[in-house]
Amino acid sequence: MDYLNHNLEGLRHTCPALAAAVKDASGGVLMLKESREGSVSAMCEGQWIHSAYDPRKEAKAWAEAQLREWQAGEVAVVLGVGLLYHVEALAAVKAAGSRLAVVIPDVSILKDALRARPMGAWLNAVEWILGTAPEMAEQLVSHSAALRVFTYAPAARLHAEIHRELEEWLRRSVAKQQGGQLHVAVVGPIYGGSLPIAKYVVTALETLGHRVSWIDHSLHRASYDAFGAYRDMRHRQAMQSRFAEVLSLSTITHLSEDPPDLVLAIAQAPLTLAVLEHLRKKKFLTAMWFVENYRHLTYWQQLAAGYDYWFVIQQAECHEAFKRAGARSVGYLPMAADPAVHRPLTLTDAERTEYGADLSFVGAGYPNRRVLLPRWLSKDWSFKLWGNEWEGAADLAPVLQRSGARIDTEACMKVFNASAINLNLHSCGGEALDPQADFVNPRTFELAACGAFQLTDERALLPDLFTEEEIVRFRRTEDVPALIRMWLDDPSGRRTVAEAARQRVLRQHTYGHRMKELLAAIGLRQPDRIGAILRGDRNAGALAVRAESAPEFSAMLRRFPLGQRVELKDVAADIRANGVGRALEREELLILLLDSYRAETRDLV
Amino acid sequence: MWALLGFGQATGLRDNDMRHALIVQLARLGDLLQTLPAITAIKSADPSLTLDLLCPMPLSPIGRMLPGITRVLEWDGLAWRQHGQDAGAGLHLEHLRDAERRISELSSERYDWAYVLNQHPRALLAGALLAREVKGPRLRGPLGEQLAPWASYVRDVAATRRRCRVHLADAFCGLCGVYPPGKPVTLSRSPRPLPPDLELIGKQGGPWIGLIVGAGANERLVPTEVWQWWVRQFMEAVPAGRVVLVGQERERARYIQDQLPSSILGRLWDATGRTSLPELAEILGRCHTVIGADTGPLHLAAAVGARVIGWYFARARVHETGPYGTDHLVWQAHEVRDGVVSGQSGVQPSSWPIQETIDAVLTGRMQGLEGWSVWVSQCDRWGAYYSEAGGHPAPPREREDLWRELQPLQGG
Repeated sequence: MDYLNHNLEGLRHTCPALAAAVKDASGGVLMLKESREGSVSAMCEGQWIHSAYDPRKEAKAWAEAQLREWQAGEVAVVLGVGLLYHVEALAAVKAAGSRLAVVIPDVSILKDALRARPMGAWLNAVEWILGTAPEMAEQLVSHSAALRVFTYAPAARLHAEIHRELEEWLRRSVAKQQGGQLHVAVVGPIYGGSLPIAKYVVTALETLGHRVSWIDHSLHRASYDAFGAYRDMRHRQAMQSRFAEVLSLSTITHLSEDPPDLVLAIAQAPLTLAVLEHLRKKKFLTAMWFVENYRHLTYWQQLAAGYDYWFVIQQAECHEAFKRAGARSVGYLPMAADPAVHRPLTLTDAERTEYGADLSFVGAGYPNRRVLLPRWLSKDWSFKLWGNEWEGAADLAPVLQRSGARIDTEACMKVFNASAINLNLHSCGGEALDPQADFVNPRTFELAACGAFQLTDERALLPDLFTEEEIVRFRRTEDVPALIRMWLDDPSGRRTVAEAARQRVLRQHTYGHRMKELLAAIGLRQPDRIGAILRGDRNAGALAVRAESAPEFSAMLRRFPLGQRVELKDVAADIRANGVGRALEREELLILLLDSYRAETRDLV
Repeated sequence: MWALLGFGQATGLRDNDMRHALIVQLARLGDLLQTLPAITAIKSADPSLTLDLLCPMPLSPIGRMLPGITRVLEWDGLAWRQHGQDAGAGLHLEHLRDAERRISELSSERYDWAYVLNQHPRALLAGALLAREVKGPRLRGPLGEQLAPWASYVRDVAATRRRCRVHLADAFCGLCGVYPPGKPVTLSRSPRPLPPDLELIGKQGGPWIGLIVGAGANERLVPTEVWQWWVRQFMEAVPAGRVVLVGQERERARYIQDQLPSSILGRLWDATGRTSLPELAEILGRCHTVIGADTGPLHLAAAVGARVIGWYFARARVHETGPYGTDHLVWQAHEVRDGVVSGQSGVQPSSWPIQETIDAVLTGRMQGLEGWSVWVSQCDRWGAYYSEAGGHPAPPREREDLWRELQPLQGG
């Protein structure tokens, strides 16, 4: 029987362009097979796309599982086409009036499906999303409704890359549209390189208009160090570990007193797995931005299952490793700069003399740097080495500044600004360039944001972030001296490159951009929580519009500025402030009653 | 039926001449039972009034046993808590509609007035939602700061722990604008079958002693070793004596039994952790005397007509919350410093009136011991009061003065 033409008949009316595209497509991607119960199933690349036994039963179970997540008002977006059994099943159980969209990365597969079996009227109620990733993202975002993505994995795996790209574009689109105010608790480390990053994150979130609770564990540094002063290593470890547990509990206490929408931990934040699991039970959303090389610092393995969302600075293998360790969601979020801190400076002559050089390097004495930097000493240029942990590096002693003392951020900025060329050599444990050179370090972004010229070692993820016109990179150590010589002779070229890099940072690579991307990624997966807040659904204006059928409630909401996020506690506080001495409206009594239960402290501690 | 959120005016007023009132009591078992005198007094003042009760869902079986109550509305605190937290996570109109639906499911019509006996805002709000007028602890609605005179008195007593003589149950009467009934009131109770192994309770031998092994707070727990010793001493002194362990704490009951000689276990019944509230009331009602430190079950025992012996320490204070009625006994712990007895509470005893209470059960003799005083309950027109055993039995004068001060218009 000619199922294809029969199926296309309806599509020609509802989506003529798609019908035409299907007609022109070659098809033949899926291999049709008869299932045990007699209906048609399909395979691709040797794997079943639908059940070999009973595709309808399998699809029904899948649809029922998705339905539990699907909230009223959300548009369901299905990834994975196959023979559409799962879409049919979802269409059958969905609430009346709710909208269902299916992403079509390859029209040929849809042709296979329409050729394989008769579809019902449901086919014409589906919204088909096709085109390039940005085009599809635009179509979906234009719905101006919350999107709930459902992945039918056996079919979706055929187009994993397109789906990843689509999600990235969706994230960007959603990031641009963010208008709501979240309450984010940022949990920082006790000390270390991620501490300043936590502070930049706090500033970025506040600048974006969110309310931030900064849980600053660096206040406890002195105590942590004191516990590290015991002679016996076991004592040190035991005491510091116990102390970190206490800080973990103090975090939970803080959260219980002022519950946030999202708990965002920065690498090295002292949160234990037990505490993270407890937070999940209490329905707190948690995320970790792991701004570390996952190959060097491996404590993430014990915590992988604890966070709802991981954001990492590496891709591919890293994501797989985290998922194997139990992480539910892993996303790529590269480092960034804070233009308020990492900025061009006007230096005095004295500062130029003190901090300036033809060639500078700021950083700690990792093994590969100890071997490589001496090779780049020359009588043809001046070289200044800044930073600590250079003990025993005799070759470098003549250029080591301040006897190897650690320098603060402000001094770093002066060095970056005063140096003709800043070397940026990613650290590693060997004696050469990093053999697994993937992530891009914060220094890359900071130098760029300063408008400082840098020479950096090539990284696999660098091209997506900066072009060769923005950052000059080297792939072999022996190429470095020639590059130094060439760029020292070209001050104008250095300025052009450095300025281009700075502009790129300002356009795309600030902590503000990163926080928007991070929140958008979580918002896409939590359309009814974080997503709703980011869209502004919780703002007074939007709430008032939705409450128009209840004029008294709507009026209560209109007492707030339209763009202000309004929660139960805010409305209740407003009633308490304005309701004394008058008879309260019924809606006001109900609000106060609900708020009296909301206000019961979550029994976290 | 009042209009469900549209919102509009609530229009569900009752349309006949009968007046309907609601008592709102959302606190714990002991408070619910101490509402009994107020209910009696309200009904006595206006026998034609239809009086309903709003109480926590788990306590509703006891609510239905309160004489004078026509209907019990069950307040599902857990569901409200979940609802409040959902609304806190993102407020929508639907949350208000659901809340309104819950209220209207409690009662489709508004009461003429509500007597609210708790100072917690949610009790005041529930009263304001269910009735046109609220008689309760605040004078100007749920947000008003000014307390009614009796509410102010109760709060003052609770905050300062100063010596007082008006029982909380009588203060509830004051809050409702009525005077105490002047006599003990008991629950409406018809005999109820018990599980087969408990059916013998109160029917053979005796005296039967109900022993409440637990308490609502850890600071008010009597050590299990003390109860073991009490049971052993009592059983040795009274060969026909029987003891029933009651309460929720099965582990404590097991521990008490584990340490007892097997020869007396045949006279010991363990009813802990497996009885409903009406069954507990039935058991307590079959006992001659009920002893314990947990004030909720002690009030229940008094309300079903058992004689009660309370051990009051930590925050429990005899004059405020002693078992209501006559001839109940309370050993009240005191802090003694330099030979002077302190009136303050918060006392954790180091010795316990074991032999003294056994003597009281068997001979009626009442004697204190160091750190404890003994009080006997009585009742007159100003309510319940306790006088010290062996002291002058005359009722304390300050109650009458207080009633005249706080409720002058109806002074009798």
